[in-house]
Amino acid sequence: MARRSTKKRNPKKKSSRRVSKARKPGKKSKAKASNNAFLRFIRRIPWRRILVGGTLILIAYVVYLDFVVRGQFEDKRWELPAQVFARPLELYEGLALNANDFERELNLLNYRYAYNPTEAGRFQRHDDVFYIVTRAFTFWDVKESSQPIKVVFSGNQVSSIKNQRSKKDVALLRLDPVLIGGIYPLKKEDRKLVSLNDVPELLPEILVAIEDRKFYDHYGVDPLAIARAFIANVRAGKAVQGGSTITQQLVKNFFLTNERSLKRKFTEIIMAVLLDFHYEKNDILQAYINEIYLGQDGSRAVHGFGLASQYYFAKPVHQLDLNQLASLVALIRGPSYYHPDKHPDRLLARRNRILDGLLEQKVISSELLAHTKALPINILEKRRTASRQHPAFLNLIKRQLREFYPESKLSSEGLRIFTTMNPVVQLDIEKKVKERVARLAKNRGLGKKLQAAVVIANSTSAEVIAMVGDRNPRFAGFNRALDASRPIGSLIKPVVYLSALEKSDQYNWASKVEDKSISLQGKDKSIWTPMNYDRKSHGSVTLITAMTRSYNQATVRLGLDVGFPAINDTYRKLGGPSDLPAYPAILLGAQNLTPFEVTQIYQTLAASGFRSPLRSIREVLDVDDQPLRRYPIQVEQAINADLVNVINSGLIQVTKRGTARSLLKRLPAELHVAGKTGTTNDTRDSWFAGFTGAHVGVVWLGTDDNLSTGLTGSSGALQLWGDIFTQMNTTGLALEQSEGIDIQWVDPDTGLLSKASCGNSVQLAFVKGSAPTEQGECLGSASGAGPGIRDRFDSTVEWFKRIFR
Amino acid sequence: MKWIIYIVSAFVLLACATTKQASVQLPGEDPQQTVAPDKNTSSAVISLLEKARDATTQGDYQRAEVLLERTVRIEPRNATLWHYLAKLRLHQTRYNDAIGLAQKSNNLARSNDHLKADNWRIIAHSKYQLGDVSGAQAAQVKAKNYGSQ
Repeated sequence: MARRSTKKRNPKKKSSRRVSKARKPGKKSKAKASNNAFLRFIRRIPWRRILVGGTLILIAYVVYLDFVVRGQFEDKRWELPAQVFARPLELYEGLALNANDFERELNLLNYRYAYNPTEAGRFQRHDDVFYIVTRAFTFWDVKESSQPIKVVFSGNQVSSIKNQRSKKDVALLRLDPVLIGGIYPLKKEDRKLVSLNDVPELLPEILVAIEDRKFYDHYGVDPLAIARAFIANVRAGKAVQGGSTITQQLVKNFFLTNERSLKRKFTEIIMAVLLDFHYEKNDILQAYINEIYLGQDGSRAVHGFGLASQYYFAKPVHQLDLNQLASLVALIRGPSYYHPDKHPDRLLARRNRILDGLLEQKVISSELLAHTKALPINILEKRRTASRQHPAFLNLIKRQLREFYPESKLSSEGLRIFTTMNPVVQLDIEKKVKERVARLAKNRGLGKKLQAAVVIANSTSAEVIAMVGDRNPRFAGFNRALDASRPIGSLIKPVVYLSALEKSDQYNWASKVEDKSISLQGKDKSIWTPMNYDRKSHGSVTLITAMTRSYNQATVRLGLDVGFPAINDTYRKLGGPSDLPAYPAILLGAQNLTPFEVTQIYQTLAASGFRSPLRSIREVLDVDDQPLRRYPIQVEQAINADLVNVINSGLIQVTKRGTARSLLKRLPAELHVAGKTGTTNDTRDSWFAGFTGAHVGVVWLGTDDNLSTGLTGSSGALQLWGDIFTQMNTTGLALEQSEGIDIQWVDPDTGLLSKASCGNSVQLAFVKGSAPTEQGECLGSASGAGPGIRDRFDSTVEWFKRIFR
Repeated sequence: MKWIIYIVSAFVLLACATTKQASVQLPGEDPQQTVAPDKNTSSAVISLLEKARDATTQGDYQRAEVLLERTVRIEPRNATLWHYLAKLRLHQTRYNDAIGLAQKSNNLARSNDHLKADNWRIIAHSKYQLGDVSGAQAAQVKAKNYGSQ
């Protein structure tokens, strides 16, 4: 309702004050005209001038109001918040998706159950078969039309999609995208503009019949109605009746505050007459339909029938029936007084009075009245609110947009922003964060202090699909995913090892490095003596063992040998945001990074060395669905793909036998993942960064005031990462043979060649020609000559699998 | 036995014919030289490629770009799709993007030498446009090597 800005209010007050000042002396003097001196005084008053002056001021005021009315009505009628959408779901045969997740997506889209879906936005489900009538939606490339569709799932896959009308297979079906939020101006008014042609013919009829019977005949005000209201008010001793025309109501909403005073009423009447003088009745009615306040959704004010129809019924306004239209019209008098949840009886009674009124005005028949009156008010109980759902993700979007659009443009021009968020994954992750953080905090006695941040992206396209920046994902405060810059600990190690392995004439996974106590001069000239997590040194170990077990002393020795320039070079190529300072503790992750920055680095590894800037926006359309700006997929070969295959083969071992081996029990056997744990001094930060064949995810746990949490990367962040990835629909990471690498079985203790059947052997990638050549005992032994026990076991398993497939 | 071979080869030809139709071409490009989508390409992707081809024919490259990005999201390991995106970028004179995308395509191309040769040609041309003459020549040599095999 608070439509005016203070700028406009002040001049108006001033001018009205001037008007009353000019009149006062006249009134007072009349009352006291009793002696000559006074009469003389009276005669000396320049009555004519006052009259002329007063009229001139009045005219000036009317001209001013005219200017305000026309300016507001024509130039910029409404500030339209930007609408933010999730990625649209694209369905095709063979897509890995389970039926329940699909139904969740439909629910998020406000598709409603129907026994026999015939109108858009309805669906029916029989186990694995869905009957849906999709909604039309305009995207950047194509306008998707509404279609009746049958989707069949089998297992966890889409097995067929058919158009029910044409009975033809549909190769690719794109649903409308879930609305995940808006970017609002300070006033938080939201609306969806509709034209008079978009609304059911019945709506203007109802509005005129109920709110303003003489709308098409009067000049903006209805003096008779005002008189009637005046008498009623005098009788009651207070304001009980409005007597406002539709034009006056519009003026009130448009230009004025809620204050009730004679002065305001006066301004309102003049403005209403001016509006009526300048504009067609239908233009005024259309503006009214878009302006009127119809409810509150959290901090967002729902204005106009277009948005109210979406909000209360999840339907476009043209699909509303008499019952629904009458219910919305009932809300005009006071959306909180007639609140559908808090006061359903009041709303029902008001709707019925409206229906009676419509019969009286002969807008509807008595049959229709009886039929509609018998219906309940069918406003959705679970209304999808569009405000503050996923604050961390919206925060990211705003930041990426702000490079091109000022905040004022985002909140006023009705932009339609198409993002990369997967709403189902986002909601799953929010739930997992809440559960896991509560559990860990309870176990460690950390109460509400333990905090979390998660970033999940698609590894090839670098699209961010989900993000959480607080243990309470709905809380819009400090976004740790973007703003908590923390020491990354051992997450730096793959950078160090990659730099070493790049020198393939010097290092491979089987090379030995000393894990032995070392003392160095640190940044502030003090002596730095790094320790291993288990407080032991492990002597001569292979690179693969040093990395999978995350040995600090071995890594520092290796890093010093490789040198800071090479490590910094790798770090920057992977996407490190700025140069690493060159002091020894950097080799163990003294560098501060945000979870988002870490995700960028691991994305490059996950995408075989092809770095792509992380994106959260695909497209921006303007209010008329015209293309404005695209954020295209960009890839740059930052690091040789073969070399990345080599480091990734080691990172897979981290999750199989290293510090992240607890994943092995949790993930399906065929889902290979790669990753690295990170723990900082006194367990202040618990990190895990990892990737599958399709997704990269980074989890951070810690407290804002840098307390010791008692959580390592394995006991903290990795657990949450596992919660997320066991539920997510993703594909495993395959160690692929490529031209530039050799894949070998190696004994990680000795670094000698081995094979699958030998004890603890691991499969690793080597830059072509750099693999060890010396054979281990097991490989040379008799048992190794034929197929080993493990080979035979594996083949038996394969045979069983084939039989029971 | 023979009729089985006939049927199979008929199917293969049919598959090739349908994927060939979905090849995304640029103006002036020889249709005979255009890399056709892999025969394992899903019908979902083929349906998008057909739209992308129509868009390029109409000169609507931005729409083609959106459609091609959708194909890449559906089949991120399909080398030919990245190649089409690279080609589009080359046409849009966004040379750095074209190089990155062509390299991505090469990384996934496995033994498809025809595709690799074409990607190296894109890289060569882009490098030349960027003023990297020696880089362009090296890429041209690679294109020739793959082309002659």
